[in-house]
Amino acid sequence: MTKIERRTQNTGMPHPSMSKQDFSTAKIETKDLKARFGKVEVLKGINLKFPENSVTAIMGPSGCGKTTFIRCLNRIHELTPGAKVEGEVIMDGINIYSPNVDPVAIRRRIGMVFQKPNPFPTMSIYDNTVAGLKLNGVRDKKKLEELAERSLRMAFLWDEVKDDLNKPGTALSGGQQQRLCIARALAVEPEVVLMDEPCSALDPVATAKVEESIVALKKDFTIIIVTHNMQQAARISDFTAFIYLGQLIEFGKTSEVFEKPKNELTEKYITGKFG
Amino acid sequence: MKSILPTQISLWRKIVNKLMTILVIVAVALAVIPLIFILGDVLLRGAAAVNLTFLTSLPAAPTSKNGGIASPLVGSFTMVGLASLFSIPIGVGAGMFFSEYSWSKLSTVSGFMNDVLTGFPSMVLGLFVFVVIVLTTKSFSAFAGAVALSFVMIPIIARTTDESLKLVPNTLREASMALGVPRWKTTFRIVVGTGKTGVLTGIILAVARATGETAPLILTAFWSTHYATNLFNQPIGSLTYLIYLYGTSGASNWETQAWGAALILILIMLALNLFVKVIIGRSLTEARMG
Amino acid sequence: MVKVNNMQRLLDSGLEELTVMVYKMGGVAEKALAISINGFIDGKDVSKNVLELSEILVNRTVEVEEKAFSLIAKYQPVASDLRIINSYIKVAYDFERYGRYAWDISFITTRFNAKALNFDKWIFEYIGKMAEKVLEMVGISINSLKSLDPELVKTMTRAENAIDKSYFEYLDKLVEQAGVTNESTISSVLVVRYLERIADHAMHIMEAIVYIATGEKVTLR
Repeated sequence: MTKIERRTQNTGMPHPSMSKQDFSTAKIETKDLKARFGKVEVLKGINLKFPENSVTAIMGPSGCGKTTFIRCLNRIHELTPGAKVEGEVIMDGINIYSPNVDPVAIRRRIGMVFQKPNPFPTMSIYDNTVAGLKLNGVRDKKKLEELAERSLRMAFLWDEVKDDLNKPGTALSGGQQQRLCIARALAVEPEVVLMDEPCSALDPVATAKVEESIVALKKDFTIIIVTHNMQQAARISDFTAFIYLGQLIEFGKTSEVFEKPKNELTEKYITGKFG
Repeated sequence: MKSILPTQISLWRKIVNKLMTILVIVAVALAVIPLIFILGDVLLRGAAAVNLTFLTSLPAAPTSKNGGIASPLVGSFTMVGLASLFSIPIGVGAGMFFSEYSWSKLSTVSGFMNDVLTGFPSMVLGLFVFVVIVLTTKSFSAFAGAVALSFVMIPIIARTTDESLKLVPNTLREASMALGVPRWKTTFRIVVGTGKTGVLTGIILAVARATGETAPLILTAFWSTHYATNLFNQPIGSLTYLIYLYGTSGASNWETQAWGAALILILIMLALNLFVKVIIGRSLTEARMG
Repeated sequence: MVKVNNMQRLLDSGLEELTVMVYKMGGVAEKALAISINGFIDGKDVSKNVLELSEILVNRTVEVEEKAFSLIAKYQPVASDLRIINSYIKVAYDFERYGRYAWDISFITTRFNAKALNFDKWIFEYIGKMAEKVLEMVGISINSLKSLDPELVKTMTRAENAIDKSYFEYLDKLVEQAGVTNESTISSVLVVRYLERIADHAMHIMEAIVYIATGEKVTLR
């Protein structure tokens, strides 16, 4: 067994804060974020800063809390009966959990794309795309059409569906449905987009298309993506956070985490030695 | 290495298979044949009585051959219509509550009570309405009849709505909430929107059920041969009551008319059930293509 | 502290194979250098032997490259796995170079042996000392690769600086001395030059070891 010496001895202990890192303006950050389901504490105090217009990958083994984490960022976690959140999530200087903040309004600024594509089955492609707008009272047909085209273009789906906008949303292939869901999330013009393993239900070609769109979206949005796949994180993300058993173990530039992770636990996970 | 599994189905297995198939077919036949007999019987006996006069004349004395079912028919439609007016909002609303707040204690308790009401003896429901409405207003009425029918319809609609909405995948609710759509809008537009076929089916089945009820009407709407001019202070005739009244009367004219009325009633039920089948069939095809 | 059990991965057997290939190459390279340098000092013709070993090393380098690339393509390794595989490709090349210089030295011995190398005693001693140090460095480089212990970097750096110094001092000394036979001068200069190059490659290997162990890219030469 080869002996590997480390410059910094960090063997499995959590990385409590990132005061050593220095990034440009953080669009959204968490302060001591805790979450629980009933009595079980799933997140044990996470401190993370997400720089504006970047892609951050959240990685970790199944059940480590990464999905719970992003569901706390747009206040979806609290919809589950028995779920509780403590700590702060701050976007543009405002704690989104403070009592005078309307969670519904927050969710229009922080959008979400789910693991399994979930277009509304009773709606056409066009209606799906503008669903968020229509349901929130936007009536101006011209505006809706503009936003629909823009969002579908940003999701790299426009060319494939522009002549079939009235077909039902579920008539598309899996990869196209997921891009439709991305377009739907983008249509309400959020600032942050959360993605929960968006490619895990897709084949490699569809995955590549979605990854392409994520990289292009970076210049207009701040993106946080949960992924199992280190290579995907390497392909599309600027920063990577590794969460294990509800704690933040390491956070840094993806290129550094990819080549020489500082924490032994991180190294073990991304090389597939556990998880 | 030779497999220890037999490569051929033994003769014994073949015999048992055939036997089971035959038994199952016999069971189906036993279940369906009586229904066919009933339908055939009603068709034969009732066809003689049904004609345009029959459908448009008021009920007449047992001695007359020209009596009709016009007013009881309208009476049934009126009461079922009124009952639907009450039951659909209440039933669908209750169903939505059961499905969207299923974790709450209130939901569990009231859900249980709903299920008890579903199979409740409709005579007892009629008796309850008799005491509460008829005795206090000192008259039979269409309104009382409609209320009694509502007690029959609401539990059915609530349960079918609940089950249809529960079939809507949770991920659609989350997708809607994640777009910043408030909870109530998500429930009405997305959840009900997706499950509307099931909800509609439940409503139609409840309507069909109510159309064929007699017991609750005996003590609430009672009987009349006239069209009702006021829904609150006079009794009103119904198709089912007519069948009960005429069928047990012993007068041959009335008995024939009873069979005619029964035929009309059965045709209405068949139409409603067929309608349901068509709706479900269409939505299934849509789902398959999508 | 969390106890984490290591899974046996498909990559591991491939990595093991690659590692064994590289260690074996090291052994062959060390042998080739030892034979060739001693051959030079003893004046023996060992070129055939050394040539064989050198050719083995050339072939092995290609094999190591191919194996490394197939591991990268199949398993998309990251972190320490990726650093090890990258470094092994470089180290294999260094071993091939060891073999090449071993052959160069043996070639000098053979080429000029007919004229019976007439070195002054001091030259032999000088070269002998350099050769000893260099062989030691080669040995350390190969052993450090096995242990992945970058601790000996400091010692090696000092040794390499000394070798560089010896090289330049030798050139200065030769310039001072007149009347040395042409063959001696040329062959001795070449051999000293080869020794300096071998030491240089030993340091290159140490750089790879530091990279594997710490992820830092350093230049020690």
